[in-house]
Amino acid sequence: MSENIERRRFLKCLGAGSLMLAPLGCSVKEQTAQDAAPHYVMVFDQNKCVGCGGCKEACNKANNLPEGRSRVVLEQQSSAVAGQACPHCGKTDCDCQRKYVRVSCQQCQNAPCVSVCPTGAAHRDPKTGIVTMDASKCAGCKYCIAACPYNARYINSETDVADNCDFCLQSKLAKGELPACVQECRYDALVFGDANDPNSYVSRLLAVKDSVRVKAHLGTEPSLRYIPIVKLGV
Amino acid sequence: MDGTLEFTMGLSEGVAWPWPIAVYLFFAGISGGALSVALFIRFYKQQSANTPFLKASALIAFVTIALGMLCLVLDLTNPLFFWRILVYYNLNSVMSVGVIALSAYIPLVALIALFALEEEIRRLPMLAPLLPLIDKLRPWRRSGEALVLVLALAVCAYTGFLISALIRFPIINTSVLPALFVASGLSAGAAAAKMLAVGLFKEDRHSSDMQILHGAEWPIMFAEALFLFMIIMSLVTGNAGAQSAFEAFHTGSWSMVFWLGVVGVGFGGPLLLNFATGERFSHSSQAFYLSGLCAVSGMMCLRMFILYAGQNFAI
Repeated sequence: MSENIERRRFLKCLGAGSLMLAPLGCSVKEQTAQDAAPHYVMVFDQNKCVGCGGCKEACNKANNLPEGRSRVVLEQQSSAVAGQACPHCGKTDCDCQRKYVRVSCQQCQNAPCVSVCPTGAAHRDPKTGIVTMDASKCAGCKYCIAACPYNARYINSETDVADNCDFCLQSKLAKGELPACVQECRYDALVFGDANDPNSYVSRLLAVKDSVRVKAHLGTEPSLRYIPIVKLGV
Repeated sequence: MDGTLEFTMGLSEGVAWPWPIAVYLFFAGISGGALSVALFIRFYKQQSANTPFLKASALIAFVTIALGMLCLVLDLTNPLFFWRILVYYNLNSVMSVGVIALSAYIPLVALIALFALEEEIRRLPMLAPLLPLIDKLRPWRRSGEALVLVLALAVCAYTGFLISALIRFPIINTSVLPALFVASGLSAGAAAAKMLAVGLFKEDRHSSDMQILHGAEWPIMFAEALFLFMIIMSLVTGNAGAQSAFEAFHTGSWSMVFWLGVVGVGFGGPLLLNFATGERFSHSSQAFYLSGLCAVSGMMCLRMFILYAGQNFAI
C-alpha cells in the first residue's frame, strides 16, 4: 500500500518537474537570429558548364577589372590517363573531353584571408556575410594571397591591391541583381541564393542534389558548392 | 564523394611571398637574436659598462631591422601604401601583432644603440646633437633594456608565427617554426655580433664574453637541429599532404639549399672548423670569422628553404 503512494508521488513530482524544467531548455531567440542572417552560396554544376567563358567576360565587365582579368577562371579537366585510350573517343591523344571547374573565391565561412589580413581590408560584409575587400585599406602585403588555400586571390594590376570574387557584392548585388556570371550563364550551370532560406531555389537544389566542396578537410567551410560529373560516357 | 573535385589552377601566379620576405625574416632574426644574446649576457654578468659585444649587437640589431623594414616595404605591391598597415589594425592577424611589436621594438633598439655607442658618438662631432638626448633619457636605460629583451625575442618568434599561419603549406604550418626561428636567430645573431665585436670594436677573441658565447652556441645549435628534426619527422609520419611535402627535402634545387646550405654550411661548417682541425687553426682568427660566416649564411639558407620549399608544396 505505502509502496503505491510512494510511486504515485514520485510520478507526480516527475511530471511537475519536467513541466517546470522543459521550457528552460527551449530558447527560440537564437534560432530566429540565425534565420535572419543570410548565407549566400553559389552552386556550380559541372554537368551543365560547356566552358564558353561567358561568365569570365561578364565578371570583367561588371567589376571594371583590367583588360583580360576576371575574378573567375575555368579549368578544363580530363579523366583520360596519359598514354591510354580516351574513354570518349578511343584516341590516345585528344582534347575531346569538355569538363570544367570553376576556380574563384570559395567564400569561406572560416576564411583564412580575413583572419590574416593585418589591416582588415579583407573582411566579411556585416550585412551579407560575404567576404569582400575594402580597397582603401589594403596595403598590398599579399598575406591573404599566401594564406588562401584555393589560390583564389590576386593583385589587381590597376589598383595595386588584392581582390577576390565577392559574388558581385559591390556591383550587381548592391543593385539587387544576381551576380554577373550567374546572369550571363546560358546553360544554368550557376545558381546563386541564400542557403539559410529554406524556400530559395538554391536550398531546394542542394536538398536534392549531391554537391561537394573543394578541400573541405581544411576546415575553411567554403560556400561554393560543386555538382560534379560522376558518370562518364555510356 | 571523396576527392571527386579539385582544381589546380589559381588566380595568382608564382609564390606569393618571394625572396625579399626571406631576407626580411633573416634580418629580423639576426636583429632580435643579436640583441637578446647581448642583453642576456649583460643581465647575467650584471655588466654596467658598454662592452664591445653590446656595442656590436646594438649596432647590428638596429641596422638589420632597418634593412628588414626596407625589404618589407619594397615587397608591397605599392610601397606607398605602407602607411595603411600602421593605421589599420586587425588583432586576429599575426602580422598586425608583429607591426605593434616592431613599432615598439625599432625605437627602443635605436635607444639601446644610442646608450651603447655613447663613446663613439662623443668622438664624432657630426653626431653631437644626439648627446643631450642621451643624457635626458639615461634614467630609462635599465627598463628599456628589459623591455627590448622581451621584444627582441618576440620579434624572432613572430617571424615564425607569421608564416606558420599559412594553413595550406605543411612545411610552414607547424608550431615548431617559431621555436626554430628563435633558436636560429640567436645563433646567427650571436655569430654576426661576435664578428663585429672583434673586427670593429677590438674585442679580445678570448675574453670572458666570448667564452660565454662559445659555450652557448653549441647547445643553441643542437636545439636548432632538434627542431628541424622534429619538423622533418612530423612530415614523414604525417598525413598524405605532409608526406608529399617531405619531398622538398630530397628532390629539387631547394633540397640542395637545405643539405648543402643549412646542414653543410650552417651546421657542418662551424663543427668542422672547431673540432676537426688542428688546435692552431681552430683558434686562429680565420677560423673564427669563417665559422661565424657559416652560421650566418646557414641561417639565410634556412629562411630561403622554409619560404620557397614551403610555398612550393601546398596541400
